[in-house]
Amino acid sequence: MTSLNRLFALLFLLMLSGSLFAEPSEAQKAEWRARREAAGGEAPSEAQRAEWRARREAREASAKADESKPTVVANEERIHPTSGKSAPVPELSHDHGAMGSRPAADKGAVKPEEAARPSGRPAGMGMRGGGGAIWLSDSPPSRGDGAGRGGMGGMMGMGGMAMGGERSGPPSKRLWMRAGSDPQKSGFAREDADAQNETLIVRPQGPLDGEALAPPADGKKNLAFEMPVQGYYRVYASSRKLQGETLNISVAKAEIANFSHGGDEEERAQALTAPRVLDSAPIEIVREKAADEKMFFQLKSGDEQAFVVLQKGLPLQGARVRFVSHEGWSKEAVSDEQGRVSFQVIRDYFPAWDDFKKRFKASYLIIAEANAAEKGVFKDQPYSNVRYQATLAGNYYPSPDDYRSYAWGLGIGLLIVLFSGTAVYLYRRRRVKPFQEVRFDDGR
Amino acid sequence: MTAAKPAMQRLRDAVNEVDFNRFRFWFQITAFILFVYGGYLAIDLGSKLPFFSCGYNREGRAGVCYLLPLQHQLGRNWAVLFSMASLTILTGFLTFAAWFIVLNKGWCGFVCPLGTLQDWISALRRRLGIRYANYTQGQFAQLTKIKFVLLALLILIPLGIGGGLFSHDMSPPFCLICPARMVLPLFTGDLSQFTIDFSSKTAVVMTALGISVTALFFVGSFVKKRFFCFFCPMSALHYLISKPALLKLKKDGSKCTRCGDCYAVCDMEIKEIADDVKTTNIMTDDCTMCLKCVASCPETGALKATFVGIPIFVSTETGFIKRMNKGCQHGK
Repeated sequence: MTSLNRLFALLFLLMLSGSLFAEPSEAQKAEWRARREAAGGEAPSEAQRAEWRARREAREASAKADESKPTVVANEERIHPTSGKSAPVPELSHDHGAMGSRPAADKGAVKPEEAARPSGRPAGMGMRGGGGAIWLSDSPPSRGDGAGRGGMGGMMGMGGMAMGGERSGPPSKRLWMRAGSDPQKSGFAREDADAQNETLIVRPQGPLDGEALAPPADGKKNLAFEMPVQGYYRVYASSRKLQGETLNISVAKAEIANFSHGGDEEERAQALTAPRVLDSAPIEIVREKAADEKMFFQLKSGDEQAFVVLQKGLPLQGARVRFVSHEGWSKEAVSDEQGRVSFQVIRDYFPAWDDFKKRFKASYLIIAEANAAEKGVFKDQPYSNVRYQATLAGNYYPSPDDYRSYAWGLGIGLLIVLFSGTAVYLYRRRRVKPFQEVRFDDGR
Repeated sequence: MTAAKPAMQRLRDAVNEVDFNRFRFWFQITAFILFVYGGYLAIDLGSKLPFFSCGYNREGRAGVCYLLPLQHQLGRNWAVLFSMASLTILTGFLTFAAWFIVLNKGWCGFVCPLGTLQDWISALRRRLGIRYANYTQGQFAQLTKIKFVLLALLILIPLGIGGGLFSHDMSPPFCLICPARMVLPLFTGDLSQFTIDFSSKTAVVMTALGISVTALFFVGSFVKKRFFCFFCPMSALHYLISKPALLKLKKDGSKCTRCGDCYAVCDMEIKEIADDVKTTNIMTDDCTMCLKCVASCPETGALKATFVGIPIFVSTETGFIKRMNKGCQHGK
């Protein structure tokens, strides 16, 4: 009984202590090494180790250098991280700026996107600012992403986007136009005078072909709009620009889910089943909803997520579709005859255990591209090819499988059942009085 | 030849002489199916229910226990909490009170899925021939206060979370330790609550505490009737607002012989039900209004349940004898 008690107490204390989150010990490392070798895995060579060490040191040196520099966004305004107010800054070159260029030291760490990029073409067509894909984000470049800030609405696939608005008024939403193919490092998209731009918003109860959305005013960089009713709000920022004989058409799309527990249930039910496609869009990516998807859906690491590429509302086969994760890892696939392509959201959030946040909001970016031999005239200039590009950003969160343990849960439960059951049994046994026969001598 | 009884009198006799345990068993099982599986039939009775229709039973629930939204609402940022936006707390509470007022604590005795589950565990123990446990009066007096302490914590901790004093990983505090969160989703095949959350130290502690309470719930319910109801903060909240309730448990002390049958069958071991011959409204904070006391009372009119003042179930000598003749139904 005492030993059981001690065992339980020891296990419980072990669980509560931070020792579980500590770095692996030398003994553990040696055990893993032995296991790997036993499994036929080869240990990295000294040369490989030296190369990794050099890369790590270069990265650390670069990070230190970055910390000592002020955060600057090229030709943009800097957003104060806490106040949200913007202040003009001079145009400067920088290491991790708008177009996804990397510090020199980081170039050694090749990410799959760079290796897989075909024919040296830049990641995007750069009709607004510098060579990156244009996409709509729920956070400005200087803020970045991270732990959820609460709120119920969100871009498709996640909640916790920056929702605002007066407390007494309807919720509002802000979106930033960004350029680049790295969700973390993309900077603001710059306006291009040669491009023809248009921004549309499709509201849940508004016209199906959308309404024009006013451009940012008062020197602000974000598109802002109110969301008075429940449902999906879609914003399409399209841009057309002629480059030589090629017309570049890009459509950056954002889909924001605005749902709450209260309100009109009928309105909510209609919004959940309403079409989410803009028939007039030259190209568009639609995130496919799962059959059992609820209104507060959150995409998790490890989930399989399908997207459909549409052109004028019809499936587009053969489009090159790229999924870029929060850390910049990417995978490319080609859409099938239904315009469909599917990706598994990889896990790329590996902080130290003490820094782990289960509500960490990571961003992904989908870029779809297709070429077509179409002839026409744009701004009185003929063209013979059209290059289409569509983007869609979303958020995903750590999978519960990363931080939840059935083994511990069931183990603790079972231990307590056994311990308390035994305690009750022994307590009852101790109180049982041994049988004592009492004889009455009536004859006395 | 005696004159035929009026129809109303015949109906009253039928109700008062009903096989009460059987009636209650079927009522409970119907309520259990409704609130644990009703969601599959698209039944949704809202999120202000005065019993443990657990919100964590995502697929099957036909409504949500009020304690879940209450804790979420109280856990808002203080700037929001102390603004007009918090009128929703008031409207939520009024909705909850409107539900509660109908059945009073009868929600616990007849509808609550967690209470029903405890009754089923007790039935299993009885079939296995294992005797049940009782508290001493001293223990009872101490334990009965715990539910009020839990109710206070259930309100104060979310307020602390909203004010930034506690981690959000503690939210919603009571739900994290409530056995209903883990047990009821099991009935729809959802085991996901039986995990330890290692994302933060607070989450580890809260989930470990939840698992521990659930383990104790199983063991406790096996040896003690309605084990968890002694500690239930919903029961405490019920008692605080029970005055205007429509369903009441009443006692006529002048007809009571203090035989103690009612106390013997009481799952909650409420001694006042037998000893107190002065109070008319006999419902106490621990009472679940299961009405077993009324069914077991041999004195006509000594105990009765009334709805808006109208007696709906009254103890009668005939009913008592009928039920006793059915066999050992009570007191085990």
